[in-house]
Amino acid sequence: MLVYGFINSIILALIALGFSMTFGISRVANFAHGSLYVLGGLLTWFFLIKAGLPYVISVIAAVMIVGVLGAAMYRFLLVRLRGLELAEVISTFALGLIILELMRSMGIMGFQYRLPPFVPGSVSIMGTYVGIQRLIIVGAGLFLMGIIYLFVHHTRLGLAFRGVAQDDHTALTVGINPDRISMLSLMVGSMLVSLSAVLILPLGTISVDDGYDILLKSLAVCIIGGLESTFGVLAAAFILGYAEVLTSMYISSSLSMVVPLLCMLVILLIKPSGLFGKHKELEERI
Amino acid sequence: MRRRMSLSVAVCLFGFLALSPAVSFSAEQPIVIGVPSSLKMLESSEALKAIIMAAEEINAKGGVKLGGTNRPLKVASIDTRGGEPGVPISDALLAIEKLFLEQKPDAVVLGPFRSEVLLAAMDLYSKYKMVSINVAMTPKFIEKYNTDPEKYKYCFRMLNAKYVVGYLMKTMSKLNKDYGFNKVYIVVQDVLWATAIGNGMKGWFEKSGWQVAGMDAYPTGASDFSSSLLKAQKAGAQVLMPIFDMASSGTLALQWKDMRVPAVPVGFISPLMGSKSAETFGNDVVEGVVNIAFQAGNVPLAKYPPATDFFNAYKKRWGQELQAGHMPSEAYDSVFVMAGAMEKANSLDPEKLIKAIEEADYNGSIGRIRFKNHEIVFGEDPAETAILVVYQWKNGKRVPVFPDIVAEGPIDKPNWMK
Repeated sequence: MLVYGFINSIILALIALGFSMTFGISRVANFAHGSLYVLGGLLTWFFLIKAGLPYVISVIAAVMIVGVLGAAMYRFLLVRLRGLELAEVISTFALGLIILELMRSMGIMGFQYRLPPFVPGSVSIMGTYVGIQRLIIVGAGLFLMGIIYLFVHHTRLGLAFRGVAQDDHTALTVGINPDRISMLSLMVGSMLVSLSAVLILPLGTISVDDGYDILLKSLAVCIIGGLESTFGVLAAAFILGYAEVLTSMYISSSLSMVVPLLCMLVILLIKPSGLFGKHKELEERI
Repeated sequence: MRRRMSLSVAVCLFGFLALSPAVSFSAEQPIVIGVPSSLKMLESSEALKAIIMAAEEINAKGGVKLGGTNRPLKVASIDTRGGEPGVPISDALLAIEKLFLEQKPDAVVLGPFRSEVLLAAMDLYSKYKMVSINVAMTPKFIEKYNTDPEKYKYCFRMLNAKYVVGYLMKTMSKLNKDYGFNKVYIVVQDVLWATAIGNGMKGWFEKSGWQVAGMDAYPTGASDFSSSLLKAQKAGAQVLMPIFDMASSGTLALQWKDMRVPAVPVGFISPLMGSKSAETFGNDVVEGVVNIAFQAGNVPLAKYPPATDFFNAYKKRWGQELQAGHMPSEAYDSVFVMAGAMEKANSLDPEKLIKAIEEADYNGSIGRIRFKNHEIVFGEDPAETAILVVYQWKNGKRVPVFPDIVAEGPIDKPNWMK
């Protein structure tokens, strides 16, 4: 239970990382997040299985395409809606729906859409057998979070990201173009979610319906942790990951998917900015 | 001269067209077969193809003979999306009503994908006097039908979950007798048909000397089954009984393999149903798994040729083998049953059609089809009744193991259990 709770927590953190990063920098809640997850997985499947490309090339190609799509989404759609939060949410959600429903209408259904695990087999940890793919997810998840931390704190571009996240007007006065940075944040967020898809989807099959589920889980993690806080994402992922496993183990598996939503509601009631978020702190104080 | 030649050509052409069966056929008003279902699910999308195939075969033989004319069948479908997670039943009902109002079908086959939608749609069928042969499986269908048979007489159904329970009971009895298995862990999808099978089996296990180590229901879309697998492992269950038709249940099979849970999966798990499953998930994952196809025909049967004929005809028509274990063959047969009833009644009048379906006796890909109390009777001999098929994955192939009359081998104890 401890082992699988940990793995599930890292999976949740991976899923939500891109959403949190995009929102933290550009303040855009990318509701197309779930559809980009499915698209990333499906493109990888296409390059790998249909086109016969090597796994690494397939992953790179899929992640790049989804990244470009994320950037294009900002450049051609969101840039015109900046500041109109509701319009941003509706437009990204609409785009996500279009992507998912297009895939559905193209006949993406059934169980043959599956990415093979990077390394098959399982090993025993604390007396419980765990698939090696799950361990790869944990390793890759922690590695990605570390890379993001280093990128944001120790590179020029990362510092520019933080500058825009703190105040885009001030960032503009020191020569940082907030629109360009926001576009890049959408691109990086999209690349992150497609990478998480490549890591997670070998655990099952690729289904269009995953898009809605991933969006919901990302929202739950980010709202609980604080929309723009990477540390909050990790903390919330652990709360939800263990809550899901404990609920399933000791209460009822049928409630395991209700738990994230329930946690989200409780946190919204108690601390609307999330556990580590600052977004609404001022309003809360007032 | 030129004018006379043109006239001759025109007369010849007209004569040719008039004598051609296609044209005399198209002059007749088609009989519209409505297919309101959640058509972006594997099972129902393949079922729609099977329905189209059946209609094409009937049309190729001259259509439905009605009132001295041959009328072609026309398939009119609508995607109700009722099987997709999060889609409210009311939305699915609106789609069904839209089909009724706009396409004006003469009868319905396949029907709603989810039992929950079928139960609600029964009132719509009554309202529009729409004779229907449905596939959703909940036992509550017959409960509702029995509350007012006159009102719900328009509804027929191809399979009751109780027959799946019956087949699973006999399969489990074999496992008990042959290998001494007596401890089971049940995991089901939290939808009506699956929980009905789970609860039915749980009651039987408890009465039959089996120990039920646990029963968990997972919401549609769940993708982590570690808690159930851990509990099954801890309890020493020898059999894991999954009942799922959702895409993410593929994760259950993979997680079962990864966690090396020493229990044989015996039940209904869609992702491991089709012929491509071994290729998709790997031979090591599917090997030894016992799955139940809800009708013959969805799995070819060497000992019952009509099932194999349908399976092969589907592959020939659509260029690939069907992968669903539920719906295509029964949907295919239901078109023939409906067309036969129309001919027998010599009318599309609902009252006459109902009577004709009640008296139907048709040998199809799923076995002999006869209705009792508006539901098909299932048994174990396809010459007498419709049948389901239990099969086991052996060396990457699906080998029928029950009912005995179509079995091509025994249920083997998986190598890793020996």
